[in-house]
Amino acid sequence: MEIIFKIIAIGLITCLATMIIRPVRSDFAVIIAIVGGLIILFMVIEYLSNVFEIFRDIIGITGLNSNLYTLLLKIIGVGYLIEFTAGICSDTGNSSLGDKVLLGGKIIILVMALPIITNILQIVMELLPS
Amino acid sequence: MEVEIIFKIAAIGILTAIIGQILKQTGKDEIATIATLAGLIIVLIMVLNLVGDLFNTLRNIFNF
Repeated sequence: MEIIFKIIAIGLITCLATMIIRPVRSDFAVIIAIVGGLIILFMVIEYLSNVFEIFRDIIGITGLNSNLYTLLLKIIGVGYLIEFTAGICSDTGNSSLGDKVLLGGKIIILVMALPIITNILQIVMELLPS
Repeated sequence: MEVEIIFKIAAIGILTAIIGQILKQTGKDEIATIATLAGLIIVLIMVLNLVGDLFNTLRNIFNF
């Protein structure tokens, strides 16, 4: 449970480092911000994999077909990366680029989610008394 | 692993700035720009390694 304190500590240290280095070398401030974000992502990523193990067991029990699970995983991964990149873009000042990255990510996620939608529609059609 | 990399990058940044200033004072301006560029490249390589690690771990976890 103490990992939350490590995350807070690293966040604060990164902010201080960027504050100190900004007058000396402004481009390093952005790099330090990126590295701080990366470190926090590395710390929480194991917890994410534990959650996915539990998801896999649940889906195994409920008998849903497993490619939905891998699709869900990919969509979460895409969301994870897109949010990280958009954050960096807005950090470096070009927020319009960040919005474009977000738009691209949303479109990719929509395309990946289409099979799920068709799957649900099929299930609903079977339920309806034809 | 975590915190010292932030301090390492900050140290490299301050060092390259100081070296650049010293070289500028002694009149060698072009070497100063080369030195600052070298510092920047070193830091960029470190960041690229980190980003590469992130992508590999993500690929393993989300089995892309």
